[in-house]
Order: sequence, then C-alpha cells, then structure tokens
Amino acid sequence: MAFSTSPSFFTSPNFTVNHYQSSSPASSVRYGKARSPPISANFATATAERTTSRSPRIATTSSLYDVLGIQIGADTVEIKAAYRRLARVLHPDVGNQDSSPDEFIRVHSAYATLSDPGKRADYDRSLFVRQRMGARTSSPAGYSGRRWETDQCW
Amino acid sequence: MSEEVGYTVASDSDTTREETSPEIAIGIDIGTCQCSLAVWNGSQVDLIRNTRNQKLMKSYVTFRNESPSPVGGVSNQLSHEYEMLSGASIFNMKRLIGRLDTDPIVSQASKTLPFLIQTLGVGVKPFIAALVNNMWRSTTPEEVVAIYLVEMKALAEARLKRPVRDVVLTVPAAFSRLQLTRIARSCAMAGLHVLRLMPEPAAVALLYAQQQLPKNMGDSGSERVGLIFNMGAGYCDVAIIATAGGVSQMKALAGSSIGGEDLLQNMMHWLVPEMDSLFSGRGLDEIKSMGILRVATQDAIHKLSFQPTVEIDIDLGNGTKICRVVNVEEFEEINKGVFEKCGSLIQQCLHDSKVANVDYIDDVILVGGCTNIPKLKNIVTGICNKSEVYSGINPMEAAVRGAALEGALASGVNDSFGSLDLLTIQVNAHRLGIRADGNGFVPIIDRNTTLPARREMVFTTAHENQTEALIVVYEEGDDEKLLLLGYFKVVGIPAAPRGVPEISVCMDIDASNMLRVMAGVVMPGSGTRNPVVPLMEVRMPTADDGHGLCAEALSRSFGSTLDLVTLHNKL
Repeated sequence: MAFSTSPSFFTSPNFTVNHYQSSSPASSVRYGKARSPPISANFATATAERTTSRSPRIATTSSLYDVLGIQIGADTVEIKAAYRRLARVLHPDVGNQDSSPDEFIRVHSAYATLSDPGKRADYDRSLFVRQRMGARTSSPAGYSGRRWETDQCW
Repeated sequence: MSEEVGYTVASDSDTTREETSPEIAIGIDIGTCQCSLAVWNGSQVDLIRNTRNQKLMKSYVTFRNESPSPVGGVSNQLSHEYEMLSGASIFNMKRLIGRLDTDPIVSQASKTLPFLIQTLGVGVKPFIAALVNNMWRSTTPEEVVAIYLVEMKALAEARLKRPVRDVVLTVPAAFSRLQLTRIARSCAMAGLHVLRLMPEPAAVALLYAQQQLPKNMGDSGSERVGLIFNMGAGYCDVAIIATAGGVSQMKALAGSSIGGEDLLQNMMHWLVPEMDSLFSGRGLDEIKSMGILRVATQDAIHKLSFQPTVEIDIDLGNGTKICRVVNVEEFEEINKGVFEKCGSLIQQCLHDSKVANVDYIDDVILVGGCTNIPKLKNIVTGICNKSEVYSGINPMEAAVRGAALEGALASGVNDSFGSLDLLTIQVNAHRLGIRADGNGFVPIIDRNTTLPARREMVFTTAHENQTEALIVVYEEGDDEKLLLLGYFKVVGIPAAPRGVPEISVCMDIDASNMLRVMAGVVMPGSGTRNPVVPLMEVRMPTADDGHGLCAEALSRSFGSTLDLVTLHNKL
C-alpha cells in the first residue's frame, strides 16, 4: 500500500501529542500559556460542532472546500475570509486549550491549495475525477492521495 | 499553543500561581544596542521608562570590582561613553550569543570591540572578558544578557509596583535555534518565564494588525499587504504580511546578521585602515583608543542621516590623529556591500512570498534605528515602488509594542473594545532537515512554512540487514550553512534487505516555535502499518557547545554505517 493513502502514525490516534496537552499545568518549563478565546460565542459553538462531528476518517475523505466550509465555486475573497474566520478559532494561539494543532494545519493546507490558482485547478480536476469514481473504488486512480497535506505554498 | 509537560513534579506549587494573580506579561525588545520594555495597561500599550525618563535604554553591562553582581545600563546612560573606554563594559551580546569562534561575526567583533573576545578558530565558544582593576574577568554572552534582564525586571517591577515574571521577548528572524535556546537560558537565569520568543517582524505585524482593525473590520474586509523592513544594530529582518480583520498572515520571512554594527565596523576600518594591528594588544591605551574611535564613528554615522557631511576630529593617542570630513557619498560607498545585502534580502522575501508584483504591497513599514539612514529608506521604497513609507508606527517602538500586545494575548487578557482581537500567523524562517543519502542534507520543513507545522518524510536503510540508523537534525542558517541541532539513533530495525524498512521522520513545530523530531519504523508487507519499535520523540535542539566539532565526529564515526536513503517513490 502506498504510504500516501494510509494515515501517518504521527497524526493517527495511536500517536498523539495528548500527553502534552491533557496533563494538568505543572512545571515552569512551559513555553506557552492558554488564551481565553477572544471570539464571539457563536463562533465557538460552530467550531465545537465542527470538531466533534468530524472524525479523522471523515476529514481525510472530505474535500478541501468542506474543510474551509465554502462552496466549490467560492472566489478568492471568500476563501481568504473563510480561512481567517477559522484561524481565529482554531489557531493554537487563540487558545482552546484542548485543540490540537492538526485542525489548523488542515485548514491552512486547504487554504494554501485553494488560494493558489494553479494548485486549485489541479485539485479541482482531481476532485472531479474522485467524485465520479469514488463510489466504485476505494483508491481512485486520478486522485493522488493526500499530497496536499505536505504541499503548502507557504 | 500551550506546551505543557507530560509529567508532574510532586513539589511543584506552580499551579496555584495563575488562579491567584492573572499577571499580564511584559514585552521586551532586547536589541544589540538598545532595549525597551512595554506592557498592556488595560486599554493600550505603555512603554516603561527608566529613572531618567527614557524609553530606550542602552544595552550594556559594566563589571565592577567591588560587587560580584555587575551593573547594567538601565539608569546610567550618561556615563556609558566613559565606561566604554575602560574595557569594563560588555555590549553587543545579542550579536554574539550562541555563536562559535569560527563565526566571522565573532572574529570581526574580536577585532573591533573595546573588551576582550578571544577566538581560537576551532569551533568552540569564544572567551569574553571585561577589564576590572587591570584584570580580565571572564563572562559569557548568556550571563551578560541575564544580568541585563535582571536590571530590566527590577525596573519594570518598580514602575508597575508588582512582581514581573512572564515576558514576551522579541528576537531577530535570523536567530538560529541554538541562539533561541541561549536567550531562553538567559531569561531563566534572570528569573523570567518566557511565554514567547517572537520574531521582531511578527511583533510588528501584530501592531500593524491592530492599527488596521478599524479599517478592515470583519472577515470580508479587504486585505492589506505590508512589507516590514527591520534593521537595528545587529540584525536585519524582512517580512511580507497580509492583514485583514485583525489577522496577520505572514507570507514570507527572511533575516540576516547584518546591521548598524557592520556599518560602524566598515567605517572604522576606513578611517583607520591599520586598526586591527594597532589595537591587537588590548592594553588600557588600546581599549581607550578603540572606545574613542567607536564613539566618534557612531556619532558621525548618526549625523550623516540628517546632514550631507560630517567632520571627525579625534586623537587616538600614540600619535594617531584623525581629522577629516566625510560625506554621505563616501559613507554609502564604504558600506555598499551592506546595502546590497539588504536589497537582496528584500528581493528574496518578495520572491518567497509569491506576491505577484510589488504593486500589491500597500504599506512599507520601516522599523529599527538603521532605517533612519536615507540610503536604506531609498532602497526599500525603491524596490517596493513606493514614494512614502507607512507613518503609523514609531520605528524605535514598534517591536516592543507588538511584544506587549502578544504578552497581553498570551496572558489571556480580553479587551471589551476588541482591540486585542488579534492573531499573527507566523512562518518558519529556517529550513530544517536531516542528514541522509551519504552525508547530504535532506530538508523536511522548508522556509516560510506556516506554523504550527508538521511534515513527514520516509527514508529507508542504506545497507543490507541494517538494524540501526542515526538521525542527525540540522537547521540551515545564513548562507546555507548547516547547524547541528541534535541527533538520536533509531534502533531495532528488523534485519531486511536494504531499501525495505520504512523509516518515517516527522518534524513538528508548534505555535510557540518548539521543534520536536519523531521517528518510527514500519515494515512493508508485514500486514500492519503499526511501528515495529516504539517511536522516538526528541525535542530539539539537544546539541550544545562545539556542535560543529560534534557534527564532524558523528559523520566520521557513523557516517556510512548508519546512513539513511530517501525513499523518493513514497512521496
């Protein structure tokens, strides 16, 4: 099986950074402190729904548009706005103490692909192929796995 | 993010602190030449003044014989020039911290600074000493910075009338991870708890985002693209940021160890071409002469920012007198190399940012003392095709104000007017990778990768039945020089033909810029994707002094036997 189609064990549940996050704050070696989220309540609840309703499995099969919560035809302004809106909730600096950086990393890589016209065109083509073939095969030929995860523009 | 340790210490009573006193962290901009402090006062950022009512304080420490604890430059700026001539004052430590004696910056400093910097040129720490009662008293850059921070802490506590422990410090983008470790160590020595070591442009970006808040409220507000050029005495940073609705996304960050100190050294060598041999003895007279030359040259450079010519008239003793008029054209010619380097750093950053062309840049933001120099201003505005620079910020205060904002954010302060509704999304300034493919450098995390970041690459064995592999982690610094950050072995790889075991190496940088390197082994065809041995997780850097020598020793001892090969087909 190709490496790219199997979730890495560095991000899968059997290898998490939970022991850094779930323990009680204890030592003076900490490098960061939690921030209370400077965001309105409806943002927070929206995110709570997002994070709880999405298992890692669903996340890998949903499209980048789903990750940003936008329509497939969204324009650049909408993509940027969606990214900023999610960043203000999901970025670790904003401080939901239990949030893992994975969510933000996923949002950023979706944004990185969709905000680059060339990468977005490639992705849209692969998405089209995947949607047509996805029902029949588990490893679609035209879709190159989760390449976008490791392929940021910035 | 909050980086919390995965263990508890029985005697640790630290946990109660937060509930009792929600302390607002102060921002510290500790510069090569000057330093400033600021704090969020509940509605805005205030700069903390010293007893002489100054907001900018000289960064230096004077060693005295009567006290074991030396005195920093918080309150006695007027005596600075006199003290500098005596060899008892140590300064420019931000430029020297975390550098080895093979570094050209250290060897240049050893020839031009009026105290003792001995270099052996073998890749170890330089020996630094202050002259106290005609005796060289040794110190280290970490110690000098720590002594200085103790003074700053005391000053802040006196002004704020409360204990100060939590701080956000700004650092140059060019700082290596080894240098960051040293600064963090200085803070720990001074009893300060570092919430963030923040690249100076990231702090400026936060301030800029706050200033833009009224203009582009909401998520659909139009994005403003800014170019930040920051040059102080020791370092130069460039960043491209895109800001809307209080969120600044950094698009590219570049830094270099060039600064006003280079302009000063070039100018001193031009005025006294034989100065290296003239001052090599480091006697009292030589130190005094070096001090006189340095003060006069610095003064001349400052004046040349505002007037076309300046007269230098000094007596260095030993019959060496300098009396000449210098004009701006000569100054610019002497420092041509420095200005060219600044230009190419800006070009590189623009290129990395993928901004289609400079017309997309809305604001050119100048920060740092060197940006008073008309030539530098012209270079930046010329490249960006702008006639004016952003006028909303004070170049000398922007970084510390941004650090204070970050301090408030990191302390969990909420502002009811929304003026702390801010976020800077940072990028990584240096490439990180491991040694593989026969002593080659294989990058895993590239420059300008948005943080937090996680990247993974798959390697395989280089030999038949290879059961161990050495993971040597490097950071790429200035001029693509590689710095050893640390190393560890992956053991227990099942015996197999070469090229079969998959060794995954994952690098993870969290939002507070902490780097962890993880490695695991998977055997394809074994029917499971589970690692065959426990995963390794190592916080970097682990290497310390003499890491250059260490890298050579590792390569000599294990280079070929424990090598890895990149599995290209898996990526």
